[in-house]
Amino acid sequence: MEQLIQHVINGAMVGSTYAVVAVGFALTFSVLRVINVAHPEVFMLAMFTGLVVVQALTQNFLIVLVIAATAALVAGLAIERAVLRPLRRADLLMPMIATAGVSVFLQYGVQGVAGPDELRFPRILPFAPLEVGAITVTSLQLITFGIAVLILLACSFYVRRTRWGLAARAVAERPDIAATFGVNVSRVAQITVGLSSFMAGAAGVGIAVLYGSAWSFVGLLYGLKSWVCMLVAGNRHIEAVMLVGIMLGILEALTTAYVSSSFRDAVAFVVLIVVLYKRPDGLFGSYSY
Amino acid sequence: MAAGDAPAMLVADGVSRRFGGLQALADVSFTVAQGAVTAIIGPNGAGKTTLFNVVSGILKPSGGRVLFEGTDVTGWPPQRIVALGAARTFQNIQLFRSLNVVENVMVARYCRSRSGVLDAIFGLRQDREDRRRMLEVADHWLGWVGIGDKSALMPSELPYGDQRRLEIARALATEPRLIMLDEPTAGMTAVEAQELMALVRRLTEIGKTILLIEHNMNVVMAVSDRIIVLNFGEKIAEGTPEEIRAHPQVIEAYLGSEA
Repeated sequence: MEQLIQHVINGAMVGSTYAVVAVGFALTFSVLRVINVAHPEVFMLAMFTGLVVVQALTQNFLIVLVIAATAALVAGLAIERAVLRPLRRADLLMPMIATAGVSVFLQYGVQGVAGPDELRFPRILPFAPLEVGAITVTSLQLITFGIAVLILLACSFYVRRTRWGLAARAVAERPDIAATFGVNVSRVAQITVGLSSFMAGAAGVGIAVLYGSAWSFVGLLYGLKSWVCMLVAGNRHIEAVMLVGIMLGILEALTTAYVSSSFRDAVAFVVLIVVLYKRPDGLFGSYSY
Repeated sequence: MAAGDAPAMLVADGVSRRFGGLQALADVSFTVAQGAVTAIIGPNGAGKTTLFNVVSGILKPSGGRVLFEGTDVTGWPPQRIVALGAARTFQNIQLFRSLNVVENVMVARYCRSRSGVLDAIFGLRQDREDRRRMLEVADHWLGWVGIGDKSALMPSELPYGDQRRLEIARALATEPRLIMLDEPTAGMTAVEAQELMALVRRLTEIGKTILLIEHNMNVVMAVSDRIIVLNFGEKIAEGTPEEIRAHPQVIEAYLGSEA
């Protein structure tokens, strides 16, 4: 029983970072109606920015986090300006392929500089194990989990309780009607991509510290899993995407523990197939386009 | 046209609109006097909603001009026309289904608020203040149209008549001087239609000018100061309710010539 709880906790820690990346992905999709394939590469860029900052500047986690997330924000805004905005009136497929190009460019660009192997990311957070009975949680896990949860809460607050969040929800459902009432749709799109990228950047640093590594192709699986989270949850409620992200982390941890670690990355897609078969709109509903 | 009367709020000057081979509007001209209720009637497909779409900026006219309080707004995008002071409701209700009732009205305030992104990010207090004001205005208009107690519901939970009221509240929240109502009593019971007529009268009491598309002749005759009749995209008559009731071409358009 303690073992099971231990696996659930470990899974939730990882899942919280899935949730942060997936929420950004889903927000971008809902508001811009664009699948930003390069979104997880922004997450990867933040990892390497973090690595550079750690090696060249400081080991202070908070400073590393803020600089790396800001770099992700800038990268996201650049992608929005250079790729998404010019293609705003284009068919869904075009921005998807264009951002896929950006994504490959970033993967190999970073690989060209950093090399093809995983790089070690220094443990810049204390690694003190805290034991409660037979359950062990490290302070490292707790801090990254805490930051992820804070980001998720802030994101939910932004969407539900601020003026720009209201505008984002209006645009997500009916951009034409929202524009009619004076909502600046392209500004809302820009903010959404910026916010999503910032969140992904923070998650990137968290994951890099948690696993102690950075890799130029880390975005591939994260991207696919974000996609799965969004489709399984449906994009109508971002809180649902968060929940599914955390659940996915737990499910993967349980699979690793009780089935085989080889199946870990397959679980997400099994869940996707089953859910889409039964509920094509996702578990909690999607905007209809 | 309205010489000596109230000044013109809206002027349509030879407005035309084609859809491929179909002439949906052909050289339609009329004037809406300030403070008046002007109704547009006509059989289905006469071009009434097309005319609304042209005036509210959703469609560009193929010819002619639209003047709002003397400003040429021909071809302006809808948000500029709303910001200038002309708001509308839709025949097929166009509410945000994923926003609750009060949020639907709050959205209408974006055309009247100016705080930027940086305010939202760095000035949480400013954002909260702006949001509070949006909420206040929204609550006010929800109360005014009579659904103030339903602000936390989702639009789909409202009865049909209340959804129409919600659309009117949303239009009012943009602070319009001209309100365009597209078949506000469509699908309503007789009692609901009566209540809506009372609402239209109250709109004029608070100084709103009204342009109305309506099929319910009881409503049209009871609330309108002036009636414009369209048929096959052309204006075939214009006048007071009494004049229109007796107009031979109108009777023909409605009852058919073989009758």
